Amino acid sequence: MKLSLKWLSDFIDLSGLSDEQIIDQMVKCGFEVESVEKLSEGTNLVVGKVIECKDHPNSDHLHVTKTDIGTEVLDIVCGAPNCRQGLKVIVAKVGAKLPGGEIKAGVIRGEASNGMLCSLKELGIKEEILPADSPSINGIEELDDRFEVGDTDILNKLGYEDTILDVSIYANRPDCLSMYAMAKEMGAILNRKVTLPDFNGVANIGDKSDFVLTSESENCPHFLAKVVNKVTIKESPDWMKQHLRANGVKCINNLVDISNYVMLETGQPLHFYDLRSNKAKEITVRDDYEGTYTALDGIEYRIEKGDLMITSENKPIGIAGIMGGDNTKILDDTSSLIIEAALFDHAQIRRTANRLGLQTEAAARFSKGLEPLAQNKAVDRAVQLLIELADASGFEETVEYGKPDYEPYEIRESLTHLNALIGKKYTMDEAVSVMKRLSFDVRVEKDDFITSIPSYRSTDLVIPEDIDEEIVRLTDFDDLTATLPLMPQTVGKLTSIQKIRRVIRDILTKHGFYDTVNYTLVNDKYIREAILPAGKPVELISPLSDARRYVRTSLMNSLLEALSYNLDHNNGNVNIFEISKVYSENGEEERLGIIMEGNTIEEKLKHLVLKADFYVIKGIVMEILNSLGFELGRIQLKENDLDVTHFHPYQSAVLIMNNKPLCIFGKLHPIYLRSLKLNDVYYAEMILDDLASTNPGKVKAPVISKYPAVSRDISLMVKEDVKAADLLACIKKAGGRLVKSSDVFDVYMGEHIEAGYKSISLNIVYEDKEKTLKTEDVNDVHNKVVEELLSRFDATQR
Amino acid sequence: MLDLEALKNEALKAIEEADSKTLEDLRIEYLSKKGKVQSLMAQMRDLSAEEKPKFGQMVNDLKNSIQEAMDLKKEKLESAMLNARLMAEKLDITLDAYAPKQGTLHPLTLVQNELEDVFIGMGYNVAEGPEVESDLYNFTKANTPEGHPARDMQDTFYIDPTHLLRSQTTAIQMRVLEADANNLPIKVICPGKVYRRDDDDATHSHQFMQCEGLVIGENITVADLKGTLELMIHELFDKDAKIRFRPSYFPFTEPSFEVDMTCHICHGKGCPTCKGTGWIEILGSGMVHPNVLEMAGIDSKKYTGFAFGVGIERVAMLKYGITDIRDLYTNDIRFLDGFKR
Repeated sequence: MKLSLKWLSDFIDLSGLSDEQIIDQMVKCGFEVESVEKLSEGTNLVVGKVIECKDHPNSDHLHVTKTDIGTEVLDIVCGAPNCRQGLKVIVAKVGAKLPGGEIKAGVIRGEASNGMLCSLKELGIKEEILPADSPSINGIEELDDRFEVGDTDILNKLGYEDTILDVSIYANRPDCLSMYAMAKEMGAILNRKVTLPDFNGVANIGDKSDFVLTSESENCPHFLAKVVNKVTIKESPDWMKQHLRANGVKCINNLVDISNYVMLETGQPLHFYDLRSNKAKEITVRDDYEGTYTALDGIEYRIEKGDLMITSENKPIGIAGIMGGDNTKILDDTSSLIIEAALFDHAQIRRTANRLGLQTEAAARFSKGLEPLAQNKAVDRAVQLLIELADASGFEETVEYGKPDYEPYEIRESLTHLNALIGKKYTMDEAVSVMKRLSFDVRVEKDDFITSIPSYRSTDLVIPEDIDEEIVRLTDFDDLTATLPLMPQTVGKLTSIQKIRRVIRDILTKHGFYDTVNYTLVNDKYIREAILPAGKPVELISPLSDARRYVRTSLMNSLLEALSYNLDHNNGNVNIFEISKVYSENGEEERLGIIMEGNTIEEKLKHLVLKADFYVIKGIVMEILNSLGFELGRIQLKENDLDVTHFHPYQSAVLIMNNKPLCIFGKLHPIYLRSLKLNDVYYAEMILDDLASTNPGKVKAPVISKYPAVSRDISLMVKEDVKAADLLACIKKAGGRLVKSSDVFDVYMGEHIEAGYKSISLNIVYEDKEKTLKTEDVNDVHNKVVEELLSRFDATQR
Repeated sequence: MLDLEALKNEALKAIEEADSKTLEDLRIEYLSKKGKVQSLMAQMRDLSAEEKPKFGQMVNDLKNSIQEAMDLKKEKLESAMLNARLMAEKLDITLDAYAPKQGTLHPLTLVQNELEDVFIGMGYNVAEGPEVESDLYNFTKANTPEGHPARDMQDTFYIDPTHLLRSQTTAIQMRVLEADANNLPIKVICPGKVYRRDDDDATHSHQFMQCEGLVIGENITVADLKGTLELMIHELFDKDAKIRFRPSYFPFTEPSFEVDMTCHICHGKGCPTCKGTGWIEILGSGMVHPNVLEMAGIDSKKYTGFAFGVGIERVAMLKYGITDIRDLYTNDIRFLDGFKR
């Protein structure tokens, strides 16, 4: 909402208040000022008269002038084509600060120039708000006889001295999209008296009308029309033009200007139709029109069912609430008209305006909602101005369809409730004085104060808390004492999944992985290439682009994108992860994705390099699970039979828990990576929900044996497909309770080993918790273990 | 007799000049069974019975003196050798240390964790909810019925006419209110991702994070809201920060406030970060609208409450001096590596 302070001063005495003070008060009371614009700017300006004007000897377009400014005669070089002897002009003296910079004394192509003759455009006035015939458009401004040489009060006298605030209006205050409501608001904010023009009931004149008005759409519940049989088209007065210009509205003629002006004043968009274009004297609002329609901007728009249209004789004559029609607009020779003031459903106007891309002032106001009595007020004011400025006569009575949806009402609030909600000690006087500043009628009954709500605040003020907000808003609130809620003590804690996230992030960052956050919305390729997709993807109705059309069903592609970005920027050894939800039509899943590329450990000074491989990512995955209290046993490790398109079929695995896939990990498939121009990437994706809902194993202190343990090594030659886990299980089974632990410490294939075989070396630790093991005892059990290994796995001992 | 003194002086001088190699030779020369000291014992035969013990004593003293001198010298030499060896092991202490490489938490995670910890410390729980939401929780129950002008404030990603990507974590609050309507009081914060149809640029992102807070109980006031937010700002930014409330509008709170804090860079003096005002707009808040309570089945005559919401990106950008919101979603490890603490 543009707020012209000059216009505001027509209603409120703003004397003694600087622009800054006004803005400061507005901000405190809930009106953010987004920008402050001076309609015109310039210091050191004075009225001068060109007493001599010659062509510049060294230029084909410059003039050399002698300009009298009363106190002296200045030499000024001027390039304007309309510069001529005898002209009264605006002179910017040396030192003047203009929007384009400071004026300095100088020499232009050999001629002295001590100042500048100005166009209004050079004083910051936008061309679009200048009258079409303004000399300032192509040259310097030509001042009339109101100005005397030496005058310095120029911009004010021209009506261009104004500060325009761009005020942001919250959705609950659509009333403030009108000058009158804004003036009342400003009166309350600044605590000054507001005087508005009186036009109540002015439109209650006119002869009986046979004009027929109907609405066939529930989205137009109220409509007023008034026929004016005689108007005189002419130029609007300066004061009106100034206010319109300050609001960025182009001035056309008195009739169009009045309709715009009344909209700015009352917030009700008005439309005037040339009466000649409505032979049938009939208007019907419909929402079933389909086809094209040319609006008064000359552009053809596609109208769909649901769009509100103003029609006459079944033909459209305007797009309701948005823009009038080309076929019914006010013309240069219009001499009679129909005033339209209607209420259209805000949501429907918003839909139509958005679809047509037609964001007019009228559409903006309808979209945000109007005050219930706006139609009547606007017609009253329009009639008043038409009589005053367009010699209007031959009025017919106002024709009305429907009724305004408003009954006067009151809100009762008690001081006790107010103070209990705010935590402050307002007095009744303070509460009542705020209501009075807002020009609300208020009366006090014991602890209660009862406020009558005017129509223009009825959209916003409904419950006692709304009244409380007005009091808080319009009184000093910085002194509110801060307290903390007095409540029963509670224990705040993280949920299971929240703790799991923290544990995982802790482990991974300690191992050199970076936590990342990626976008949820992805393209269709990411959906096709999902890992363990959560289900059928969720798709947006109207995405911003195809790249962000779907809600991702797995994390891998986002992480690969982050990996590629980093590799493209020469960041090597990319170890990153993400914890995020993924979605499908089946619902949500919480996931962890981990990517490893390059080296996991790279310590050049120490000649220490650990390249990422299957076992490194397996180790990371298992460490996470172990730290969360889940060991192999509750979780089964299987060869990957779930996804061999994206994973290397022989260097990947899946983990199963509760008969469901928990994690897939390993090397990504070289063919898939080639399509992404990537080499050797290891990836794991884990579903976290089951970990959160399954009880982890309990922590139990280990029992340390008092008796020494005995360690034995054994090397076996076995077929290459024998699995380490099977060997270890066999050892455990054969050795029974005396086997404290066993592990593989070497695997070798290649030279000196028969093809198809591998050498595998194991370490077994024996221990008895009750006694010291004798050598014979160890030999007995170890021999048993060895025999079992040799026979079960068709192995030989090396 | 003079022989003894001369021998002693000769030996001590030789020991003094010895190095670790020759010291062993000197021991043999003087102190071995056939050494110079032992051979003095041969003179015993020529001495009288009363002179013998005296002489024996003197030889013994001589032996001890030489032994002592040798021990001392040995110790000295060893210590010099050790010193030389240690010196040869001298390191360049400025060379890079070996420390296992650590990754970092994402700045958004850091801020979220910090918020969670502050409020858990005050006895709040951390609530979550789905990002694919129904318009019921995202809008309707938040006092924003269909056609409400406030739905215009947020351009929302719809999935079908009644489902959307949540545009505000208010949706979580509405779920908590409904679930805990018979389990009051409520003290939760609700962090999470939200989505709006904004084109990405330096200050806009179609995806961002919010953290809202909700307290419902008896006699909860705006003053309580102020105290709670003050505590939060003190923990997050600056223990001396002040806050101020400016009236605002949200459909689900009444009255509603924008909250400004004194600038954490200049402490209110005015600087480029706060555009010279000394204040920074940090969050939105208000008293929960009675309609919201009633829709959740809570008696708004008996219970009141406050709600607030802060942008996690906004906090991260202010705290860490990030100027482009897209940096938070690019995941450049050179950027991420800056958040070691």
